[in-house]
Amino acid sequence: MARLNMFLALMKKELLALSRDIHGMAALFLMPMVFIVVMSMALKDVYSPTITKLAYAVLNQDQGEAAKRLVERWVKERGDAKALPENWRDEVRSGRLKYVLLIESGFTSVVDNPGGAEGAKARLLTEPGLDNGMFETNRMRLVAMVTRLRAEAMLAGLPGNLDAAALMGDAPVAAERMAAGAHPTAVQQNVPAWLVFGMFFVVASIAGLFVEERSCGALARLRGLGVQPWQLIVSKVVPYLLVNGVQATLMLAVGIWLMPVIGGEGLSLEGVHWDALLLMLFAISLAAVSLALAVASLVNTHAQAATLGPILNVLMAALGGIMVPLFVMPTVMRNIAAFSPMNWGLEGLLDVLLRSGDIASVVSEAGRLAVFAVLMLALSFVLFRRRV
Amino acid sequence: MLAIRELGFRYPAASVAALDNVSFNAVRGEVLGLLGPNGAGKTTLIAHLAGLLTIQQGEITLDAQPLAVTRAAKPTRIAVAPQEYAFYPTLTVNENLACFAGVGGLSGAVSKARIAECLAFSQLERHAGVRADYLSGGLKRRLNLAIALLHRPELLLFDEPTVGVDPQSRAFLLEAVKKLAQEGCAVIYTSHYMEEVEAIADCVVILDQGRVLKQGALNELLGADGTQLQLAVAGGEVERLLALLAPFGSVVRQGLGVQLTLDARNSYATVIAAVDAAGLVVSHARFGHTDLEQLFMSLTRRSLRD
Repeated sequence: MARLNMFLALMKKELLALSRDIHGMAALFLMPMVFIVVMSMALKDVYSPTITKLAYAVLNQDQGEAAKRLVERWVKERGDAKALPENWRDEVRSGRLKYVLLIESGFTSVVDNPGGAEGAKARLLTEPGLDNGMFETNRMRLVAMVTRLRAEAMLAGLPGNLDAAALMGDAPVAAERMAAGAHPTAVQQNVPAWLVFGMFFVVASIAGLFVEERSCGALARLRGLGVQPWQLIVSKVVPYLLVNGVQATLMLAVGIWLMPVIGGEGLSLEGVHWDALLLMLFAISLAAVSLALAVASLVNTHAQAATLGPILNVLMAALGGIMVPLFVMPTVMRNIAAFSPMNWGLEGLLDVLLRSGDIASVVSEAGRLAVFAVLMLALSFVLFRRRV
Repeated sequence: MLAIRELGFRYPAASVAALDNVSFNAVRGEVLGLLGPNGAGKTTLIAHLAGLLTIQQGEITLDAQPLAVTRAAKPTRIAVAPQEYAFYPTLTVNENLACFAGVGGLSGAVSKARIAECLAFSQLERHAGVRADYLSGGLKRRLNLAIALLHRPELLLFDEPTVGVDPQSRAFLLEAVKKLAQEGCAVIYTSHYMEEVEAIADCVVILDQGRVLKQGALNELLGADGTQLQLAVAGGEVERLLALLAPFGSVVRQGLGVQLTLDARNSYATVIAAVDAAGLVVSHARFGHTDLEQLFMSLTRRSLRD
């Protein structure tokens, strides 16, 4: 009973001290929430591009039948064109207009007579800063449309029993992302990434509070009252597991409820295996708290605690695919990322949230995090005994 | 109650021992003043008693039981009010007391009652809800005291508890320490303020460079060197004065005058009468026993230790 009282008192003290640490609270709860919102909104178009929303205008110098059909079909896919400004070249150069579809005089004639001399063209004139992907997508779409117009013109010249519409129907092509559950969105990617980052930020809080506890003599007093190093460690692990739990709940809530309200896509937990999600969250939390205790036992001053923790976090995040997605990294960096505990956490969460992974599919990541946690706890215990 | 026998300790890589053959006792109902210049070994000694250092040489017993056994069975029998503010600055006075009460195994109504008693003893009731880092220096010292008293310790160690506090808080703390001894605690009190130790200690241990230089009952230590007379005469006739006073006891030059330790058969009045008869005019006279500061300085010398 006395031992239980001791643990309860130590854990309550830890939570009270954390609740009075405004900067620590902000780093633990506010910062990852802000990251989720900002990064999800900023990367929204990576998964649902705005290609159909680009402001454009049409300059049809031809007025022939093929030119009219091209404009009709372009408008149908890309939305209504803006009125063509008089100084449209300046507008495009400045980026106020993203592109102009210029159909040169004689275009219909070129389309209707495929064997004829090359001359008039349908030109796509874009602003200088247009994303290369968007530029290529529009160019290829224009090539496809003009090719189709040409084919239609050729078919029209053949004997009348040929059904041009049937021949030129939709190409037998389809492309889609292989998502078993929720479809990938910026929110679906960013919530797990910044949740992992936020959970590892307990390093700064635990290290700061531990240095204070040591420097003010409270730790010596606790030891004087018979508290053993392992008891001190356990009394710090449990409250921060709870803190990580609250963080995870908040971050998921932000994804599910806040993001749709502010114009982003909502996080979907459809088809998620909850047992796998909880296992991953527990493994990440244990690894984060253990690392925090090892760092806390290592540093001597507030300044060291305030710099080493965040630096370690940012490094692990940069290397682990939190800040820069793994798929854009070169092979060397991807190999390095495989050593970052944040990467194990992120990959595990993505398995659960994007690929509907069950416990068996995350056991490798959870296992690595658990081994990391055990090593860090052992290190903190050794350092703790020397310092207290 | 507490017996320290031939205690020795050397920190790793240190060339000299921090404690060397230290022995003394502390008994219930008495205040033991532990004195020594910086680096004398006081903090090392307290760290042993607080269970923060393992004994390398010698032994410490509490009621004839080895300290380690006592501490393992009931660590709260010994409490330390350390030099630092050993509590959580962002927690309130009450939260700090509740934390350390819980760590020592108290809970529920017992804990609440004991916290209330300690608040009352330290006169901190009005500040129970105040964050510890917002307290003044004196209040922080009183909180340190209150936490130390939570588990009704039998041996209390005060490590310079009055540093940086105002005279009122100092007087309060000294009264409190004296009262705790009167209630049956064994108290070890370290301080650099000699007048404090002189005011409350029943016995004194003077440490320097890890060794005990002197120990014993305070009145015996102060009276051991006999009655002293410090005297200066007008006209700077120190040589004449030295010669005149030699038959009355042991006399040495001191500043512009002399210091005479009177033989038991002589009295202050006869000395003054002799000076007067010799035609010397007394310009300064001070009479009494050696004070603790004089004793301390004579034992530990004046050279700086840091």
